[in-house]
Amino acid sequence: MMKNNIEIENVSFRYKGSAESLLDNFSLTVKKGEVLLLCGESGSGKTTVIRLINGLIPHYYQGELEGNVRVAERDIKETELYELAGTVGTVFQNPRSQFFSVDTDGEIVFGPENIGLATDEIIRRKQETVKELDIEKLLGKSLFELSGGEKQKIACASVSALLPDIILLDEPSANLDRTATEYLRETIIKWKKQGKTIIVSEHRLWYLRDIADRVIRMENGRIKNEWTGKDFSGLSSESIQKLRLRPLTVEDTFSSENDSSSFLDMPEENAVILENFFFTYKRRPHLFFRKKLTQADEDILTLNIPKLRLPKNSVIAVVGSNGTGKSTFLRCVCGLERDCPGVITMDGKEYKGKNRTELCYMVMQDVNHQLFTDSVMAEVMLSMKDKNEKACEIILESLGLLPYKDKHPMALSGGQKQRVAIASAVAAGAKLLLFDEPTSGLDLSHMEMVGQLLTNLARSGSTVLVSTHDPELIGQCCDYILCIDKGKVGYYKIKE
Amino acid sequence: MNIRLDPRTKLYMILIVSAVVMMSATTPLLWAVRIIITLVPIVLLIAEKRYASAFRFFALYTIALILTFFFLSDESTGIIKSLLTGYCGIIAQFLPAMITAWYVIRTTKIDEFISAMQKMHIPDGITISLAVVMRFFPTIKEEYLAIRDAMKMRGISLGGGNVIKMIEYRMIPLLFSCVNIGDELSAAAITKGLGGKIKRTSVAVLKTGAADIVLITGFTVAAAVFVIFKYFV
Repeated sequence: MMKNNIEIENVSFRYKGSAESLLDNFSLTVKKGEVLLLCGESGSGKTTVIRLINGLIPHYYQGELEGNVRVAERDIKETELYELAGTVGTVFQNPRSQFFSVDTDGEIVFGPENIGLATDEIIRRKQETVKELDIEKLLGKSLFELSGGEKQKIACASVSALLPDIILLDEPSANLDRTATEYLRETIIKWKKQGKTIIVSEHRLWYLRDIADRVIRMENGRIKNEWTGKDFSGLSSESIQKLRLRPLTVEDTFSSENDSSSFLDMPEENAVILENFFFTYKRRPHLFFRKKLTQADEDILTLNIPKLRLPKNSVIAVVGSNGTGKSTFLRCVCGLERDCPGVITMDGKEYKGKNRTELCYMVMQDVNHQLFTDSVMAEVMLSMKDKNEKACEIILESLGLLPYKDKHPMALSGGQKQRVAIASAVAAGAKLLLFDEPTSGLDLSHMEMVGQLLTNLARSGSTVLVSTHDPELIGQCCDYILCIDKGKVGYYKIKE
Repeated sequence: MNIRLDPRTKLYMILIVSAVVMMSATTPLLWAVRIIITLVPIVLLIAEKRYASAFRFFALYTIALILTFFFLSDESTGIIKSLLTGYCGIIAQFLPAMITAWYVIRTTKIDEFISAMQKMHIPDGITISLAVVMRFFPTIKEEYLAIRDAMKMRGISLGGGNVIKMIEYRMIPLLFSCVNIGDELSAAAITKGLGGKIKRTSVAVLKTGAADIVLITGFTVAAAVFVIFKYFV
């Protein structure tokens, strides 16, 4: 008989200073070698379960904990965190904040060094891990130069090098593109073959469909549904939708060949026209005057879009793998890259260089970077040229933010913060709104809310460019799909 | 050209440079010693191919020195001259230590640093805190750049002409994101066993090479010359 590797018995937990409990009489046992998928809306308690098992609750995040947690035959309450390091490994959601080292090699050996292994054993483990996960190419690099997908590979490797029996992944694909997510899938399959116990908390389900042995859906801190992996993959898309989960299968909307760019002949007055969008990170040496980039510099261009028409009042999805120039494109459009000679023409008016920031506004992936003041109202007023409280309230009303107008922006939820950023963009009179992966790490309900918001913005006179890896979002709200491939327009079409 | 220095040599350099710049130079010989030990980290930065920062530091320091020697004196009066005296004083005093610290942070890997500190029997508490600080510099830079972009988009880079607002708009988001990242960072590090009672090993091999010996000797001699000629001759 297989032994239970993780036993959680009647656990209730609430964080210190918080009124609501995140887990409510929660019980779960996981067998050795089992792959368990935890799904459910944000705030349903998935992350709390992960933190219970890796001991961060109650040792790092303090609160009231009732019930028992036993992991690998140890009582978590009595076990120090460092004793768990060789037993439980965790891959976290945010690739930016899970590294202790600044270089890839250092990060892989970081865990083994901490638990005091002998030097040659560490080196042997490092070589094995690197070979197994196929990451030779990433060695010897600074972690700050890597893409999100590459960082997540290193995160997996640094967990793997500790050879833990139990591996926990907390929304590991939130910031990944399709290729990187598929790589993550391969990694999990490798771990599964080695007989490791794996628990994944995730919103994106397609890549785990046939790996999970058991699937649990949580709601309000309890287990609401439970399926075997097989039964779960058999669920119809209607029932998945009803459970408020993201789809089990996604069509590969990105690799389409058929190009229906006939709409590009649309009359100029119905379009936002982008011209001369060239940019490079490999600047040629210069003394005093930087030569203006042109199409002739093709060999060094990171972004090379001579001409592009964006249909007004529509939502345009910008797709493409990580690191092929999507973000560069958005940064150039909204005027953040001053070296980009791009010109935007809209309603007969030309916007160049710095003026592009008047026309455009980008809602960044980490929206915390763009909230500056101490109340929602002040945040929106900051963007207005003629401070008008009435107009400000109308904008807040339209985004459902009026009840929060005196709150501190940092005290709001992620979605609300996003809407505050949009409100300030609208207040500034931006006509071209750019969104940099607004739905990464969101559950179905929140994603649909963002989709609805984008549609509303387009209907009320803005043109929306949204970079995304989520086919579900494209399906819901986008009118056109623009694929950027190696800095060029890969394809550009009307969504079927 | 690639000079790999032992982190201990680098720490020693910081110590000597800071000590020397804290003692005021009064004679040409003392100035010469001080300028020479300031040039060392600049040369090292060039060896690391960090031409831009080397040039920037060099230019700043040279301008400050030229101004001090040729345009300013104890009898200088007037607002501009007094401001310049302040500027040059600060640059000439503190820049050498800053350049050295910058060089050390830019070229030392965290595990090398931890390993060196362990070899010197520094308590883990201090080592790890310092390592976290080193780890945090690039993060702060990344966050700061993102915030600066966001400010550009909002057209509030200059805070509407209000200096306090200008700082406030930068600091509030920066503090929030650094606190969040710091929190997640330590959680991740703890799950990988940092801070345990077990003695930490390190794969970073510390080799004391010829360059280290030359630099240590050079800096010791420079410090000795400085102290002897300042206080005993």
